[in-house]
Amino acid sequence: MTEAAIAPPPPLWRRLLGFNLLTGIVLGIGGWYVGWYGAHAISGPSIEYFGDTDYNELSVYLAYIGGVIGFLVGLGFLNYPFARLRGYPPSLREKETGGWTRYFGLCTDHKVVGIQYLWGIGLFFFIGGLNAMLIRTEQLSPHSQSFPMGTYLTIVGMHGTMMMGMMTSGILGPFANYLVPIMIGARRMAFPRIEALTFWLLMAAGAILTTTIFFGGFPTGWTGYAPLQTEANAGIDNYILFFALVGISMTLLGLNMIATILTMRAPGLTWTRLPIFVWGVLSTAVLMVLAAPVLVAVLAMGALDRTAQTSFFNAAAGGSSYLYENLFWVFGHPEVYILALPGFAIVLELLPVFSRKPLWGYRLAVAGLLGVSLLSWFVWQHHLFVSGINGDLRPFYMLSTELISIPTGFTFLCGMMTLWRGSIRFTVPMLFCLAWFFNFLIGGLSGVFLSDVPSDVTTHGSFFSMAHFHYTIMGGLVFTFFAAIYYWLPKMTGWELNERLGKIHFWTMFVFFNSTFAPLFAAGFLGQSRRAPVYTGNLKFLNDWVSISAFLLGISMLVFLYNLVRSVAFVKKPAEANPWSSRSIEFQLPSPVPVHNFDRIPVFSSDPYGYGEGPAPSWVVPAGAPAGRE
Amino acid sequence: MAAAEPLAHEGTSYAVVEEEPPELLGRNLVSASYLLAGATAFFFVAFLFAYFYLRSLNNADMWKPAGIDASVGWGTAVVACYVVSAALVRIGLTDHLALRRSQWRMKGLAALLVGVVGLVLQVIAWTHEGFGPADGGFASVYFGWTAFLFLFVLGTMLWLQMTVAMSLRYAQAEGGVPAGHASGDPDRTAHDIRDPLSLVRAELVGVSFYWTFLAGIAVVTWVVLYLI
Repeated sequence: MTEAAIAPPPPLWRRLLGFNLLTGIVLGIGGWYVGWYGAHAISGPSIEYFGDTDYNELSVYLAYIGGVIGFLVGLGFLNYPFARLRGYPPSLREKETGGWTRYFGLCTDHKVVGIQYLWGIGLFFFIGGLNAMLIRTEQLSPHSQSFPMGTYLTIVGMHGTMMMGMMTSGILGPFANYLVPIMIGARRMAFPRIEALTFWLLMAAGAILTTTIFFGGFPTGWTGYAPLQTEANAGIDNYILFFALVGISMTLLGLNMIATILTMRAPGLTWTRLPIFVWGVLSTAVLMVLAAPVLVAVLAMGALDRTAQTSFFNAAAGGSSYLYENLFWVFGHPEVYILALPGFAIVLELLPVFSRKPLWGYRLAVAGLLGVSLLSWFVWQHHLFVSGINGDLRPFYMLSTELISIPTGFTFLCGMMTLWRGSIRFTVPMLFCLAWFFNFLIGGLSGVFLSDVPSDVTTHGSFFSMAHFHYTIMGGLVFTFFAAIYYWLPKMTGWELNERLGKIHFWTMFVFFNSTFAPLFAAGFLGQSRRAPVYTGNLKFLNDWVSISAFLLGISMLVFLYNLVRSVAFVKKPAEANPWSSRSIEFQLPSPVPVHNFDRIPVFSSDPYGYGEGPAPSWVVPAGAPAGRE
Repeated sequence: MAAAEPLAHEGTSYAVVEEEPPELLGRNLVSASYLLAGATAFFFVAFLFAYFYLRSLNNADMWKPAGIDASVGWGTAVVACYVVSAALVRIGLTDHLALRRSQWRMKGLAALLVGVVGLVLQVIAWTHEGFGPADGGFASVYFGWTAFLFLFVLGTMLWLQMTVAMSLRYAQAEGGVPAGHASGDPDRTAHDIRDPLSLVRAELVGVSFYWTFLAGIAVVTWVVLYLI
C-alpha cells in the first residue's frame, strides 16, 4: 500500500482565504446580488426589496439561486466537478485531516458530516422552537395581541416549515451519516462529497427560509397550499426555495444511504444480521428518494406559476389548486414516516442494550418498518377528506390509513416483548425510549380519529389534529432524537454527558410536553382552529395552561443545551469506549472514532443483539482484508 | 484466518484508506444510476399526473384553448436526438466491453454532440411554438415538463462529458494516472482509488443506463405532449 504523504496544514490566514464557510458566505452574498441584478436585466427594473410587496418574482428566485451557487463555490463544491469535466479521474476523500477547521467547510469524512448535521440541525431546531414560544405568547390572549395577523401566520409557517423541513434529516443527517458506515463495517459513505453537499444545501435552505421575513413572510403554514401560495407576496418564494432545496438534499441523502447499505456491507453482514437501525435508515431512505422528487416537482410548478405565469394551480386559467394538494400530500404523507421511521429504529436499537435481551422478533420488526414504508404511499388522500374529495374514494383511504397501524403495531410489539422480563436499566437514553411508547401510542390512537371520515370532518383543521401530529412527530421523533444524542454523543465527541442533568432534562421535557399537547386535544374538540390567533373566551384557561407548559418545555431544552455545552466545552470528562456495554460494533471502536474507522475491514459473524447469549462477539479481522466485500 | 484484534487504533496511518479497490466505487456508481432513475421517474410522474388531472378537469375550458398545439416536428426532432444519443452511448459501452477503446471514444463524442444538438433544438422549439406558458393548462404542463427534462438531459450530458473526457485525457497515458490526479487533496500523493482509470467502464455502465432511462422518459414525453 502506498504511503500517503500529508502536507502540514497551511497557516490560518491562508486557510481563511481558501474554500471554507467564510468564503462561502461572502460569495453567497455576492451571488445573491448577481442573481438579483441579473434578473432585473432579464425582466426589467423591479421594486425595492425591503418592505414592499410588489416584487419582480424572478429576481427573488435568481437572487437566491445565485446565492446558493456562490455559497457552494465558496465552500469548494465545484472544484471536483470542474476537474472531472476536464477529464481527471474520480476521487473520494477531501480535507479529512485538517483539525477543527474540517467542521467549517467541505469535508468528506462521514463522521465530520454527522457532527456538522447535529449542530446545524440543532441551530434550526432552536429557531423553530423560538417560533413556537412566540406562537404560545400570542395565544395567551383570546384576541390578537402581540403580533399583526400576517406576522403571526408567518411565525406559524416558519415554525412548521422549519421543523418539518429540517427534521426530515434530523436522524439520518447526524446519526445515520455518522453511524451507518461504521455499523456496516465500511470506511466511508458511497458518495462522500454528495454526503457533504446534502448538509450544506440544508444550511443554505435554512438561511433562505429565515430571510423570508425580509420579503413579508408567508401566510400558508408549512403546507404552502395554492391558491394562497400563488397570491402570496414574495416571502412565499423563500418557502418554495427552502423546501425545494430540502427536497434535493433529502433525495441525495436517501440515495447515498441506500447505495452505501446495498454495496458496502462488510463480509458476513447478511441482511438478517443488519442492525435494526440500519434497516430503519434503509426504509426511510427509500421514501426519501421516491417522495422528495415529487415535492421538488410540485414546488417547481408553484415557482413557474409565480414567475413564468403558468397556471398549474390557477383554476381560472386551466389549472387547479387540488393538483397542488394532491401532489403535496403524495410527498407529505410519506414525509410523516420519513420523520417517524428513524425514531422506531432508534427505539428498537436501544431497547436490547438497556434490557440486556436480544431484540424480540427481529424479522417482524423489519417487516414493520418496510410495511409502514410501503403503506405510506396509499394514504395521502386522507388529508383531503374535507377538501372536496370524491366521496367514493373516502372509504379506501380511510381503510388504507387504518391499515398502517398494523405494521406500526409490529414495532410496538417487538419493543414491548424485548422489554418483557428484561433487566431494564433506566438510563437517560432508555427513559427517552420508554417515553416514545407512551407518546406515540397517544399519537397513534388520536390518528385513528383523523383517519375516520366522520370524526375527521369535525376535527380537521383544529387543534386536535395539531396535538395529534405533535404527539407523533415530537413525541415520536424528537424524543428518540434525544435518546440517540444521549446514547451516541459520547461515542461521537469522546466526551461524557452529565447523567443527572440528562434525567432532569428528560423528566421536565416529558411532563411539560404532555402538559402542553394533551389539553390541545380538548381545545380542538371545543372548536379552536389551528393557525388562527383568536379563539373564544371559554378556551382561555386551556390556552393559558398550554402556553405556560410550552414555556416550561422550552426551558427543559435549555437544560439540555446547558448540559451539552457544559459537558463538551468545559467539563470534558472522557467517555468510555463502551459506556453502555453495548454489543454493537461502533462501541468496540475508540471514542471518538478515528478517521479511518477500521484498521482493517471487519468480518461479521452475528447480529449485535445477542445479550445474555455468552460473550460479546469478536469481529474477526483478516490481515490485509480490503475495503468492501471482496 | 487471523486472530481477533482491536478493530482500530488511534495512531493508524491515514494511508490505510488510500488505494481502495476500484470495484467498490464501481458498484456504488452503478447502484446510484438505478436509484437516480427511480427518483427521476417520480419527479416526472408528478408532471404526468398534472397532465391527466388538468386535462380531465378542463377548468374554465382552459386546458387547451384553440390554437394551442405543440409542434410535432420540433418535438420529434428533439426526442430523436435524445434517443440517438442514448443509443450511441449503449453501442459505445459495447465497444468498451470489447476493448475497442478508440471506437468507444468516437461514439461517446458523437453521443455528446447529438445530445447537445437535442438541447439546442429544444430551445429553438420553445421560441417557435405559437403559444406561451400563460396560455392554459396544457401550455403550463408543456413548458414545465420540457424545461425540467431539458435540465435533466443537460445534467446527463455533463456526466457523459466527464466520462468521455477521462477516457480522452488518459488515452495515451503510459503507466496510468500521474500522482495527485486521483486524490481529493492536491497535497496528497497517493490515489484514493487503485487504478482509477478502470472506473471508466463503471461510469459508462451507469451513465448508459441512466441516459437510456431518460431517453425513455423523453419518448413518453413525446407521446403525451405531442401525440395524444
